[in-house]
Amino acid sequence: MTAKEFPGVPADLAEVVERHGHAVAAGDNATVLADFRPDRVGQLLASARPPEGMHSAELLDVEPGPDGLFSAFIRYTGTGGEAVFRSRWIQLDGTWLVTQVRNVPDTPPRTSMAHPSDDGLDAPHWEGLRRGELRMQHCPRCDRWTWSPRPICPGCHATDLEWPVVDPVGRIYSWTRTWQPFSPEVTGHLPYVVVVVELPGAGNRRILGVLLDGDGADVRIGAEVKGEIEPAADPEGYPLLRWRLV
Amino acid sequence: MTSRDRAFRGATAVVGIANTPFHKRGTATQSSAQLTLEAILAAAADAGIDAHDIDGFVSYANDDNEGLAIGAALGAKEIRWSTMVWGGGGGGVAAAVNAASAAVASGQADMVCVYRGISEADAGRQSYSKGHMGPLLSGHGVFAPAQICALRTQRMLEVDGVPASAMKALVQAAYHHAQNNPDAVAYGRPLDPAVYDDARWISEPLRLYDCSRENDAAGAVLVTTAERARELRQKPAYVLSGVQGAGPDWSESVENDLAYTSAGFHPAMVARLWEGAGVKPGEVDVVQVYENFSGPAVASLIDFGFVPKGPDAGRVMQFENLIAPHGSLPVNTAGGNIAEGFVHGFGLIVEAVRQIRGTSPNQVPDAALSLLLGGPMAPSVGATLFGSDAVL
Repeated sequence: MTAKEFPGVPADLAEVVERHGHAVAAGDNATVLADFRPDRVGQLLASARPPEGMHSAELLDVEPGPDGLFSAFIRYTGTGGEAVFRSRWIQLDGTWLVTQVRNVPDTPPRTSMAHPSDDGLDAPHWEGLRRGELRMQHCPRCDRWTWSPRPICPGCHATDLEWPVVDPVGRIYSWTRTWQPFSPEVTGHLPYVVVVVELPGAGNRRILGVLLDGDGADVRIGAEVKGEIEPAADPEGYPLLRWRLV
Repeated sequence: MTSRDRAFRGATAVVGIANTPFHKRGTATQSSAQLTLEAILAAAADAGIDAHDIDGFVSYANDDNEGLAIGAALGAKEIRWSTMVWGGGGGGVAAAVNAASAAVASGQADMVCVYRGISEADAGRQSYSKGHMGPLLSGHGVFAPAQICALRTQRMLEVDGVPASAMKALVQAAYHHAQNNPDAVAYGRPLDPAVYDDARWISEPLRLYDCSRENDAAGAVLVTTAERARELRQKPAYVLSGVQGAGPDWSESVENDLAYTSAGFHPAMVARLWEGAGVKPGEVDVVQVYENFSGPAVASLIDFGFVPKGPDAGRVMQFENLIAPHGSLPVNTAGGNIAEGFVHGFGLIVEAVRQIRGTSPNQVPDAALSLLLGGPMAPSVGATLFGSDAVL
């Protein structure tokens, strides 16, 4: 087998990556695990999601990546479709090892928790999303925005609270890029960026959501973002508010 | 100091302490109830009392083992007090000690046990955050306290300008202290600074070693009156003052907490702790600060005025300052949640008391004022200041 050549990429790495792809497709776990950095095997295994019935691999590209790492793109094909993994490689003690891996393109996680809470307090918010609107809790009596929603207005104790539409435009108040698979539902979407967004249209209350294309983004507190409502995956489900850097 | 402060200050003391071994999570053969009872019996033996005489039970953070059931298992002669401190996270750790002290100081019970037990087999994963990660968080992929604390730590670093080196120094001090503590999970496993720097991201800006990790284990301490404490075999660790709770616009607000990069120890709460004890922050000898994650622990030390805000935090948060016996601010002298073991901060109570007794694995010479801080960046936070008889 002759390895392909890639500009700026050591020949031995290209060879290792080619072999790695075939090992993954063949389910040769011993070889695959030996290619992973030993201190992060668990995280790597749960980061990317392969296609069902995976049977073959094709190395698409290897290129010099960020932080002195090299990025390899491998397309895996199975009976249930295909998936492209981007693995990032580092040389440690003369051995090339995978230190990060993810599915590309970058897609936001969808979790089974996207629905109103058990007490129904936030139901008008979720129902608003179904109509394509961001709605948040507001007290008409004392003009206080409250988030997360409460059973009564904490300002004046009014019980008749309203849910006006809020312009989904704001600034990043804080953010985190999550790499750890805290739930099996995020496998295939790691890493992803969650932002806390301050909304001038809601008295600077802050709402939280995933930043689209956040993996490689230069995320900064104070950056302007705009919300987009992502439709539900099925008719029973609820849409989700996502954010994008302006 | 108010008359109520005067009545509370030094009225009670911790007289018995115990941790079970810190088992790797998911490996204990005992249930959380069995571990809890093991810890309580060991604390009773430490105090030199008959465990049948324990008449009060306090836990926190949705512990699965109700006080009355634990009391029944112990064959308690009479149960006079049973309390769970509300609020997820480690905020209840100090608040539970305060609740036990309140029960004893007010005469409602005489020998109150504070306990917490976790065994993954029956408590499940992440027993510390049960019921606190609702759809407005988890619907967006925020499942774990690590992510909440990462969001708050990120702003503390990026906007307040606290250097990340402050977090590293805290973790290094914890691992350093664990090397003298044979019971610590990190005993014999020193942390190479390069390994800390290069560890995998959990949720930026937190890497692996910034995070505490659960153990299967339990802890128990016994609180009684100052008079009784002086008759018992251990040197009493008197409760000088205690605070708990939440400031304005804090708690269960999906990241709308007002003082966002604070650990939650708001100025009125901090002032009340010092006022109640009649102590100034500079007089404290040693601090056990809850580190669910390194960032919130740094924020706690800032809230209490031990460490300046912003970029200057790095001046104080240096490894040499944070280690016993001679650092200016020795913290987590048994290794803390991060390097000794995690039972929701319980080990920090035990170590705060050991410092007063003079039995810490990293003893601060003549420690007379020992501070316990619980729960940073959680819905509820709390603190307890322990003192020796030298400060009564």
